Amino acid sequence: MAKRGGKLVMEQVQKRYHKTVALHPTSLDIEPGEFFSLIGPSGSGKTTLLGTVAGFVPPTGGRIEMDGVNLAMLPPYQRNIGMVFQNYALFPHMSVFDNVAFPLRLRKLGVAAVEERTRKMLATVRLPDFGHRMPSQLSGGQQQRVALARAAVYGPRMLLMDEPLGALDKNLREELQYEIKAFHRQIDATVLYVTHDQEEAATMSDRLAIMNAGRIVQHGTPRHLYEHPSNAFVASFLGTANLIEVSGKPESGEAEVRVPTANAGLLKAINTIGQGAMSEACVICVRPESIRIETGEQAKVCANSNRMVGKILDATYTAGTFRYQVQVGTETEAPVAVRLPSVRQSDMLPRGTNVSLVWPASATLLIRKD
Amino acid sequence: MNADTATWLPIRYRASNKLLVLLAWLILLFLITPQFVIVPLSFSSEAYLSFPPAGWSTKWYGSFANSPDWGRAAINSLAIGLPTALLSMILGTMASLAVSRGGITRQSLVAALMVAPMMLPHIILAIGLYPIMLWFKLLTSYAGVIIAHTVVGIPLVFITVNSALSRHSGSLELAAMTLGAGPWQSFWKVTFPLIRPGILIGGILAFASSFDELMLALFLTGVGTQTLPRLIWLQMNDYLTPTIAAAASLIFLVTLGLLVAVSILQTRSGAEKANAHG
Repeated sequence: MAKRGGKLVMEQVQKRYHKTVALHPTSLDIEPGEFFSLIGPSGSGKTTLLGTVAGFVPPTGGRIEMDGVNLAMLPPYQRNIGMVFQNYALFPHMSVFDNVAFPLRLRKLGVAAVEERTRKMLATVRLPDFGHRMPSQLSGGQQQRVALARAAVYGPRMLLMDEPLGALDKNLREELQYEIKAFHRQIDATVLYVTHDQEEAATMSDRLAIMNAGRIVQHGTPRHLYEHPSNAFVASFLGTANLIEVSGKPESGEAEVRVPTANAGLLKAINTIGQGAMSEACVICVRPESIRIETGEQAKVCANSNRMVGKILDATYTAGTFRYQVQVGTETEAPVAVRLPSVRQSDMLPRGTNVSLVWPASATLLIRKD
Repeated sequence: MNADTATWLPIRYRASNKLLVLLAWLILLFLITPQFVIVPLSFSSEAYLSFPPAGWSTKWYGSFANSPDWGRAAINSLAIGLPTALLSMILGTMASLAVSRGGITRQSLVAALMVAPMMLPHIILAIGLYPIMLWFKLLTSYAGVIIAHTVVGIPLVFITVNSALSRHSGSLELAAMTLGAGPWQSFWKVTFPLIRPGILIGGILAFASSFDELMLALFLTGVGTQTLPRLIWLQMNDYLTPTIAAAASLIFLVTLGLLVAVSILQTRSGAEKANAHG
C-alpha cells in the first residue's frame, strides 16, 4: 500500500440523463493509499462513477469529498486528480519528456525542478532514456507507462485509471498489472481503477466494487466477494459459480439450513440471507473448486457435506487443472462445473463416467438471486 | 506500397493498372488544358483576344501593371481575400470545435447546415445578401463583400478542421484538463497544434475562393471596391484586350500556388498521421 494518498468519500452521488439513470444514488468510501477497483459489465455505470470523480460528468446529486473538500463543483483542472485513459491520450505532437513535463509546466515550476521531477518519474516507469522520443515511436505498453508517469508526476492525491490495459494483449496486460501495482507502492496516491476484467481487478485491488445496472451491488476484498457473494450476479461475475435452483422453502435454522432442490434433494447450506427467505428469490451457489469427485459405490457421506450423482459430460485439461462438466438430473439443467488440480489425481475421468459429487456444507451458500 | 502490391498481382491486373493510370492522366489533361489556354492568349501580340495568337509579346503584362484600374482591383482582391481568410479561419474553427466537441445534439444536421453555403448556388446567396447589405448600408463597401465571402469561406475551414479533429480522440483534451489545463490552455497547448494544418489549409482555400469569386463580387462591390474577377468580367463585355488574359493568368498562377501549398501541407500532416498510427 502506498505511503499516503487522499481519502475519497462519495455520498449519494447520482447521475441522470433526462429519464435514464446512469448512476443510482451511490455512497462509497475509499481509504488513503488504497487500490480500489470498479468492475462490472459495460453500461453498468462504472465509467460514469469514475467520470463524476474526474469532473467530466457533473453529478445530478450527492457529494464527492476528497480529504474533506467537496469536489462536486470544481472543474476537472482544479481537482488535482490524475487520470490514465484506455487509449493512453498522450499528446502526439510532444515528446515523451514534454508529455510528462506538461502538468509541471502548467504549475509554473522552475526549469530545473521540471527537469528533475520529469527525469525521476521517467526512471520510475523504467523509461529513463526515452524522453526525446515521440509517443508514436513507443509500443503500447511503453505508451501506457508514459501515461502513468504523466498522471502521477505532479503528485496528485488520487489516480483514476479507466481500463488502462484494455487495449493491450494478454501477456503484456499481466506484466503491466504487476508494474502498476509496483508503481502504486512507490507513489503517494489512492487509486480508483476501472476494468471489466474480474481477474485483473482481483489481482490488483485491495478492495473492489461490483457494479450492475447503475449501482454498486457489493464491495469488499477480492476474497470476501469471491467467497461470500451477496447474490447470484456477484457469484457468477467473479469466477465460475454453480447455481442450483431451490425448489421449496428452506428449513429454518440459525446459520446452517436444509434446502430442498429438484435435482439434488435436500442440501445443507450456509444461510447468508437470514430468516424468511422465499424459495423463488434465492439460489444455491457452489464454487467448482470446492467439489470433490468420487467414483464407485461408497456412499459414505459425512454429516456436514452434500452429495449429488451425475454423469461426466465433458472433461478438459488446462494448465494443471482437470475441468469437468457433470450433468446432474435432467438434461435441461445446466451442468455442474468441477475443477480439480491434476497433480493429486491419477487419470482424467472419461466422458460418460457415473460419478458422485461431494462438497462440504460450509462451501454451500444460500444467496439471493438478485 | 503500390510497388509492392504490383509485384504479386497477376499480369492482366498489372496491364489494367497501367491502363487506369493512363486514363487518370487523360482525365487530368482534360481538366487542366482549358485553364492553360489563357496563358498563351496573354502573350499575344494582337490587340484583341484571339486563339491561336498570331505573334508573341509581353506588353499586356506591362499594360496590366501600368493600369491604375487593374492595380486597384488587384489590391482590392487582396484586401478582401485576406480578411475573408482570417475571419473564415476563426469562425470556421470555432464552429467545428462546437460541433465535434461541444456535445451538440443533432450533430450531423448542424454539420450539414454549416456546409450548405458552399453547396448552394452563389447567385441565391447574392440575391439574398443584396437587400440585407442595402439595409445595413454595406453595399459596395469592403465589409459587405468580406462578410459575403466569409459565408462561403467558413464551410471550407469547417470541413478541413473537422477532418483534423476527427484524427485525434477527444480524450486528449480531457487528459489535458485532468493535468491542470483550463479550457483556454488546453486549446492552445493541445488542440490548436494538432489542428493547425487543418486551419491553415481551410484558410488558404477560403482565400482562394474569395480571390476567384465573381457572383457575389458583381452584386456587392462597387467601382472602388471591385475585385480582379469582376474587372475581368466588365472588361470582357467592353474591350476584349489580352490584358484580361494577363490578369486571368495571374489569378491562375496565384491559385495554383495556393493549391500547391495546400497539397504540401496535406502531405505533411498526412505523414504525421501515419507516424502517429505506426
